[in-house]
Amino acid sequence: MPLLSTTDLKVHFPIRGGVFARTAAWCRAVDGVSLSINPGETLGLVGESGCGKTTVGKAVVRLLEPTAGRIEFEKTDITRIPPRQLKPHRRHLQMIFQDPAESLNPRHSVRDILEEPFLIHRLGDRAERRQKVARLLDKVGLPSTAAEKFPFEFSGGQRQRIGIARAIALDPKLIVCDEAVSALDVSVQSQVLNLLLDLQRDLGLSYLFISHNLAVVKHMSDKVAVMYLGKIVELASSEAIYQHPRHAYTKALLAANPVPDPAAARHRVFLDGDVPSPINPPPGCAFGHRMKHPQYDQSLQSNPQLTEISPGHFVQLCACCTPAPATPDVAPPANHE
Amino acid sequence: MPDTPLLDIKGLRVGFDTETGPVVAVDGIDLTLAPGRTLGLVGESGCGKSVTAFSIMRLLPQPHGTILSGQILFNGHDLAAAPLPSLCRLRGREISMIFQEPMTALNPVHPIGRQLAEAVSLHDPAPTAEVRRRCVEMLTRVRIPAPEARMNEYPHQLSGGMRQRIMIAMALINKPKLLIADEPTTALDVTVQAQILRLISDLQKEMGMGVILITHDLGVIAETCDDVAVMYAGRIVERAPVRELFAHPRHAYTRGLLASIPRLDSTPKTRLPAIPGQVAAITDFVEGCRFAQRLGLDPGTTRPPLIEIAPDHWVENFPSMLQAV
Repeated sequence: MPLLSTTDLKVHFPIRGGVFARTAAWCRAVDGVSLSINPGETLGLVGESGCGKTTVGKAVVRLLEPTAGRIEFEKTDITRIPPRQLKPHRRHLQMIFQDPAESLNPRHSVRDILEEPFLIHRLGDRAERRQKVARLLDKVGLPSTAAEKFPFEFSGGQRQRIGIARAIALDPKLIVCDEAVSALDVSVQSQVLNLLLDLQRDLGLSYLFISHNLAVVKHMSDKVAVMYLGKIVELASSEAIYQHPRHAYTKALLAANPVPDPAAARHRVFLDGDVPSPINPPPGCAFGHRMKHPQYDQSLQSNPQLTEISPGHFVQLCACCTPAPATPDVAPPANHE
Repeated sequence: MPDTPLLDIKGLRVGFDTETGPVVAVDGIDLTLAPGRTLGLVGESGCGKSVTAFSIMRLLPQPHGTILSGQILFNGHDLAAAPLPSLCRLRGREISMIFQEPMTALNPVHPIGRQLAEAVSLHDPAPTAEVRRRCVEMLTRVRIPAPEARMNEYPHQLSGGMRQRIMIAMALINKPKLLIADEPTTALDVTVQAQILRLISDLQKEMGMGVILITHDLGVIAETCDDVAVMYAGRIVERAPVRELFAHPRHAYTRGLLASIPRLDSTPKTRLPAIPGQVAAITDFVEGCRFAQRLGLDPGTTRPPLIEIAPDHWVENFPSMLQAV
């Protein structure tokens, strides 16, 4: 039984213009995303900027209102329930943001920041809250003296630890990590990734781990979903995504990932152009359109759908990006060591 | 190694006046770059890699930043001591720079054609039509679709990858001998990053310029550079040809960095060998080994010297940092 599942989730933003601010167009940021996360599991969500991965994360915790589709959390449909009914679920649905400097109130001490979740949910008295804060700081590897300090007194990595402490304050079940380590230096990034792995093991957390860095996502996740222009084009176990990528976009992402080994053989597939705008997405297979694939026209009729090609491995099938039979037209990156 | 390097930095020290007193951001570094080669400068934020770049261009924020000592020899001329008018003749013509954030480096109220043309006409009083022709040619070179039309567009009308290509066009339009690229792809997606890096190296081969590539991404270094210098806390701790460095990293910091990156072929959900601690605040830097300071070891009282352990492979010699792997 999945902890969280979305069915055909859509989030469209109106583009207003003209004298009366009429809706001139719709930005289809998320256009039919179905995914599920089991307890204790990490689902990675990867894609280029503008593909809608952050919008999915925000919609899942209801920071954005979904346009259509369904979000189920712990067997409850939370897609449209009013704030009062949503509140008890919010405890179990938390988020860690990309930029810890911007997501922590600079005028609040770390104690204020970490006590706020308890105050909002009316949990515990003063003494209990103090105790909880001390325990949280200990869990994320910060000294207890940190409680009286302010966010600016910490380095980026430490600030992200405060963000993590706040997210785990109310014993959540699912944490959406939106580019949680992207702003950190390599040496600090690995410390924070380790912390997230430790917390998952100790607290049985589930993560929706959103990042543009395929290597980081692959390292952190059980399953990986690759998003392109508001849709999932491939979803599989993290090993399968790396070893048997099927969709041309997944292969291109893997190939573009710079490998820290100058002796490694390069199988670079260069993508030209940029991600098209989600305001007027091309019909049919969006990636085939970008690659100007000769078989792109076929996808206009077939309307590519996510299909299970082997147990647990879903691919959006179309003539241009997943030519059948599965010919290895692009070799997966060579294994090092 | 050719006899005359394009760029030869000797004992560069750069300091800043801050509210809490003077600090030294770059603490005596030596670097050389031969024409046509790419030197990667890698390190964490605050290690002084960007300050080094800005010093070469003499673009340190004034009046707080100053070159305290050392030489920056560009084709034999010391840029550190050069008067402003001669610098202005070099900047944009002989030495160019690509900045990290194309949106802040481009002027939002001028069409990109005008900004490109300015870079040309500042150094060359060519007729307007000729300047325009060169701009369009350069935009074609960096693979901007419909370059004629793009000339009249403003930066906000372009995507991030496109803006960065405009920056590259602007930097290369006068065929400089030295290109300094300060995190040119950090703000971009991996797919666009691959395009941009390929573009820089194609143009480099064509024009034979030397490139200094500043990045914190070891993957980018491995794929594009000939030589690498690893900076930590204002100093170069290790310097070597790229293959040598990745095959035989000697300094504990370099090894720690290489080990801590998640790789596509690593086992998912396993702990990464992270470097403990964090870089000390710049005001707390010790004279001894600064990485030992981070690890909580005795840093010693004197600066560890750089020693050559293999041909062209230099490493800061501090016993506890050089234990065999």
